[in-house]
Amino acid sequence: MGLASFLIRRGINMVITVLGVIFIMFIITHIITPNPAVAWAGPHPVPSIVEAITKEYHLNDPVYVQFYYFLLAVIQGNWGEDPMYHQPIIQLIDTYFPRTLELTIAAMIVIIILGILTGAIAAVHKNTPTDYTIRAFYLVTWSMPPFLVAMLLQLAIAYGLKLLPATGLANPLLSPPKLITGMPTVDALIEGDWPYFWSSLRHLILPATALALVAFGIISRLIRNSMIDIAAKPFIRTAIMKGLRERDVVFKHMLRNALIPAITVLALTFASLLAGAVVIEDVFSWTGMGWLLTQALYQQDYPLVMAGTFIVAIGVVIANLVADILYAVVDPRIKLE
Amino acid sequence: MATQTVVISERRISSLRLFMTYMRHNPPTLVGFIITIAFYGWSIIEGILQLLGMVFHNPAIGWALLPYNPFAVNYAAAFQPPSLKHIFGTDNLGRDLFSEILYGAPTEALISILVVGSAILIGGLIGMISGYFGKYVDETGMRVTDMFLAFPAIILALAVEAAIGRGAINAAIALVVVWWPTYARLFRAETLRIKTQYFVDAAKLSGTGTMGIIFRHIFPNVLTPIISYATIDLGNVILAYSIISFLGFGVPPPYPEWGRLVSEGFQYFPAPAWWYAIIPGVVITIVVIGLALLGDGISEYITSGGITT
Repeated sequence: MGLASFLIRRGINMVITVLGVIFIMFIITHIITPNPAVAWAGPHPVPSIVEAITKEYHLNDPVYVQFYYFLLAVIQGNWGEDPMYHQPIIQLIDTYFPRTLELTIAAMIVIIILGILTGAIAAVHKNTPTDYTIRAFYLVTWSMPPFLVAMLLQLAIAYGLKLLPATGLANPLLSPPKLITGMPTVDALIEGDWPYFWSSLRHLILPATALALVAFGIISRLIRNSMIDIAAKPFIRTAIMKGLRERDVVFKHMLRNALIPAITVLALTFASLLAGAVVIEDVFSWTGMGWLLTQALYQQDYPLVMAGTFIVAIGVVIANLVADILYAVVDPRIKLE
Repeated sequence: MATQTVVISERRISSLRLFMTYMRHNPPTLVGFIITIAFYGWSIIEGILQLLGMVFHNPAIGWALLPYNPFAVNYAAAFQPPSLKHIFGTDNLGRDLFSEILYGAPTEALISILVVGSAILIGGLIGMISGYFGKYVDETGMRVTDMFLAFPAIILALAVEAAIGRGAINAAIALVVVWWPTYARLFRAETLRIKTQYFVDAAKLSGTGTMGIIFRHIFPNVLTPIISYATIDLGNVILAYSIISFLGFGVPPPYPEWGRLVSEGFQYFPAPAWWYAIIPGVVITIVVIGLALLGDGISEYITSGGITT
C-alpha cells in the first residue's frame, strides 16, 4: 500500500474518531446539565434570561436537533459566549492554549535531551552502577504524582536555592508583550523585549522540567533497550570490525537506529503532556489551558470544560496521526498497513 | 476427576513457590512484593475496622490500631515537624499525619482494585470479541476504543465526574470510563495471537460454543501476560486518582485522602509546613514504585518461562 492511500485511510479514521469524540462530549454535557439554562443564568435566575439562554442554545429542541447544532458549532469553532467570563469561548482558548503549548514544547525539548542522553549512557554502561542509577531515577520520577515532582522542584530550586521563581508566567511588574503567537516567551523574543523574555524564560524552566521529569523515563528506557538490541546486530559487529571509533559506532549506528521507535513514542508523549499539564499548571500557577480547565470545573462552567476537553482531545488525535505518519516515513522498511 | 483437581492445585502451589524462589534472587521484585503486600494487607485490615465502626456506629473502632485519632483537632499541636512523637508531623489542625495517611489507605486500595478489575472485565470483553470475530466487529470495536483513547484520561475523568457528581465511587466510575480502552487493545492483541492456536480449533471441533471458547479457553490464556501489566497499572490508577483528589474531586473532607492531604498541605507550602504536602506525596510514590517493581518482576518471571500456561 502506498503512502497516499495510507494517509487517506488514517485521515478517514481520524475524522470518525473526532466525530465520536464530539458525540461522547455531547452525551457528557447532557448528563451534566439536563437544563443548563438555569445553571448558566447565575445564582438568582430571572425567568426571561433563562428563556433567552434556552432559545440561544436550542435547549427546547429534540436531542438529535441539539446534537446537530452542537456539531455545527464545534466544526465552525463557534462555542458561543462563556457564561462566566462573558467572552467568546474561542477567544479564551486563543489566549490560554498557546501558553500550554509553550510549556509542552519546552517540556518536549527537555525530554528529548534528557531521555536520549540518559538512555544512551545507560545502554553503553549496561548493567553497571551508572545504568542502575539512571533506571532507579526514572522509576522514581515516573512513579511520582506530578504535583510532588513539581513541589520538590519548587522546594529545592525556587525556595531552597532561590535560583528560579516558583510561580507565575513572568514577573508581574513587567508589561507583557503584544499577543502574536500567544506564547509569552516567543512573543517577547519576536518583539525584542529582552527583560520580559528573560523573565518568562526563567519562569518556564521549572514547570517544563517538572512536566518532563514525569515522562522522560519512557524515552530513556526505550532508547536504552533498543540500543542494547541493536548492539547485538551483525552490522554493529561489522562497524566495529572495520575499525570505526567507538564513539562513531555508538552515535552514528546504534543511537540513530534506536531513535526510530523513539520518534513515534515522542509524538504520543506530546499528547500525554498536554493532559499532564493540568496539574503542573495548577501547582506553578501557570495560567494556561489546564489552569483554565480546572478553574472552569470548580466554577461548574461546563461549556468551557467541554471546549477545553475537546481542544486537548483533538491535540491527542493529531499527535497520534503524526506518530503514525512518522513511524512510516522515518523508517522505509516499515510496511504501511 | 478428583485426582485431576489435586494435580491442578498442586501445580498452583508450586508455581507460587517458584515465584518466591525467583524473588529471593531478585531483590527489586522482593521489595515491590513487600510494599504491595504491606499496602493491600494494611488496607484490608483498616478497611474492615472502618466498616465495623460504621456497623456498630462507633467510628473509634476505625482508628483502634492507629497511634492517634486522625480526626481529633488539637490546635496546640499544629504544624509540628516530623519527630519521634509524630513521625510524619502534624497538619494545620494538629492532627497526626501518620494516622491520617494510614486511615486513608483503604480508599486508595479499593479504587485501584475496582478500576483495574472493571477495566479488565469491560476492556477484556470488548477486546476479546473484537479480536475473535475480526472484520467489521473488530473495526467497530477498535474505532470506539480509539475515541475513548483520544481523550486525555485525567481530563475526561474530571468531565465525567462533573457529570455524575463528586465522590470516591463516582471517581472510580469516571476512571473506568477512561481506563478500559487500553485493556481492550491488550486483550485484542493477545486474542489475535491465541485464536490461531490448535487448542482453540480443538475446542471448536468438539462443539464448544463461541462464548465458551472466549471465556473458557481464550480468557485464561490471555490473562497471564496481562497480569504483570495490571499490577503496574494498579499504581497508575493510584496516581490518576491522587491527581483527581488533589484537584478537589475526590472524597470530601475530613476523610484523609492522600491526594487531598497534599493539596491541603500545599496551602502551607513551603512554609510553615513543607512536610504536610510532601509526605503524603512520598507515600503515594512508594506504593506506586512497589507495584511497578512487582509488575516488572512478574513480567520477567513470565517471559523467563516461570509459568507454563
